[in-house]
Amino acid sequence: MTIFGAIGVASTGLTVHRKWLDAVSDNLANVSTVRATSEDAFRQKYVVAQEMADGGGVQVAGIVEGSAEGRLVYEPDNPLADEQGYVRYPDIDMSSQMTQLIMAQRGYQANAAVVDRAKETYAAALQIGR
Amino acid sequence: MGMFDSVSSVALNSALDGLALRQRVIANNVANIQTPGYQAQRVSFEDELSQAVTRGSGAVTAQVARSLEPTREDGNNVNLDTETLLNVDTNLRYQLATQAISGQFSSVRTALRTS
Repeated sequence: MTIFGAIGVASTGLTVHRKWLDAVSDNLANVSTVRATSEDAFRQKYVVAQEMADGGGVQVAGIVEGSAEGRLVYEPDNPLADEQGYVRYPDIDMSSQMTQLIMAQRGYQANAAVVDRAKETYAAALQIGR
Repeated sequence: MGMFDSVSSVALNSALDGLALRQRVIANNVANIQTPGYQAQRVSFEDELSQAVTRGSGAVTAQVARSLEPTREDGNNVNLDTETLLNVDTNLRYQLATQAISGQFSSVRTALRTS
């Protein structure tokens, strides 16, 4: 255990939640990314969290990608459209992404609050003997 | 008995160690608040410490155990309300213990000044 361990552990939580925020904002930014039907659709990213050994905090175990299928939309005017007039949109559920956005944000805030309180505790320890 | 080997000094030391560990474990619980399958950890040392003090010793090692509270659908049982309360509580207890230790030191300092 390093000195100021609780701050280190909370920072792993901050990192994971920030990566989750990054993934969600990437998904939302690409919600209307159009591809030709011959290509894969934009695949949404899911961050998979995993507990670290010996109470060391949390880490990103990996990124799981969503369906490459997407959904086909009839847009004959689109330059990417195939002969039948279809293009491929990503199959991203907006409400699920917004919910995840809030969950990631609240998780980040909770970890930031832990950093604050741990800082107070360590400051008290530094006052011993003063 | 040495100056800092008294039961109260050793007991305060054990309490500070246990509270610091609890603070770290709370940080770990909050960090894993969205980790599927994670079970919250709990630190216990108070009961053992009070028994140790009754026996005339103050040295105890804090124990870490998994919480057996019911889990959410994803197998995780971290409750942010509980963790926040414990975090504030632990922080205040820690400050109290540091003040008690500082008090002991200031008594020693007074003794050193008396001549």
